[in-house]
Amino acid sequence: MLAKLENVTRRYGAKDGVSDLNLSLEAGQAVGLLGLNGSGKTTTLKLLAGLLYPSQGKVEVVGKLPRDARGQVAFLSDSDNLYNWLTPADAERLMRSLYPDFRPERYKELLGFLEVPIKPYGAMSKGQKARLRLAMVLAREAKLYLLDEPLGGIDLISRDRIMQTLVREWREDGVIVISTHEVAEAEGIFDRAVFLKEGRLVLDAMAEDLRQQGKSVKDAFLQVLI
Amino acid sequence: MWNLDNEAGPIYAQIVKGVERMLANGRMKPGDKLPSARELAAELKVNPNTVIHAFSQLEIAQISETRRGLGTFIRDDVNVEGMKLRLLQEAAQRYLGEVQGLGLTPEDARKALSSLNGQFKENGNAG
Repeated sequence: MLAKLENVTRRYGAKDGVSDLNLSLEAGQAVGLLGLNGSGKTTTLKLLAGLLYPSQGKVEVVGKLPRDARGQVAFLSDSDNLYNWLTPADAERLMRSLYPDFRPERYKELLGFLEVPIKPYGAMSKGQKARLRLAMVLAREAKLYLLDEPLGGIDLISRDRIMQTLVREWREDGVIVISTHEVAEAEGIFDRAVFLKEGRLVLDAMAEDLRQQGKSVKDAFLQVLI
Repeated sequence: MWNLDNEAGPIYAQIVKGVERMLANGRMKPGDKLPSARELAAELKVNPNTVIHAFSQLEIAQISETRRGLGTFIRDDVNVEGMKLRLLQEAAQRYLGEVQGLGLTPEDARKALSSLNGQFKENGNAG
């Protein structure tokens, strides 16, 4: 097992971000973290990334506390959080200085495959920005990749490229967790679908098992969450 | 070519079916090399585990074989004619199911089929 949450609750003031969450992630899995807005997807990813601490319960990544495992965790935030003047080359220098596991050759390949233009971040389209940020994260040699809405609100071609890249980058010794609204489009790339509703885990199933029962992951999503 | 549908059962089974269909219609031939699991996964935008599972099923069914260091190939001894007949049988089953669902008889089914005869020949000649 690569990472786990055990009876994890995270409160924001009086409100629970996630409640009594149990989840264990096995190497080789691509996990879809699915739920509506405010269901606790981002909270769950941030708990795994060590960016939030649980109010109760325990989070472990490669047998350590997440904050001690940060070198093994690559997190793609859903916010537009880079400087406007930053070019792909600047981004490379930044990532190299921050992360010893950053692989420049891999980064160059990813920029090529994702067709990231050579221009400042501020001059890129939304989809180009998303592709650059994905290249930065996937160029790391991490064990746990946490991608928060990598497909959210971007053009079709960018989405297609991003999904192909995610499949190409899949590794047997790592886990990719992807939160998304675009269930119908992305569901093929998940092994496993974890559904959150109001901070609670309501269904945790293998995608092919759902299809065996005659449901797509999207059908299950609608059944469980709406 | 693959026509994957998330609503139509497990994806691995659809990949297996896709290979069988391509063998039956001649787009794939005995001895052909299959793409690597990873290539096919990227093309179809599905999880590589799913493709690996599909390939293992093809191997168990003795449709494909893995040649060490070379990749996965359609076996030379695969019975394409038999496969065609099986796919035809399956299509006939579905057709009959539809006919029965409509409360009609096998006789009606045969009539409907023979009424398509002209069309079938035209298509046959064109193809």
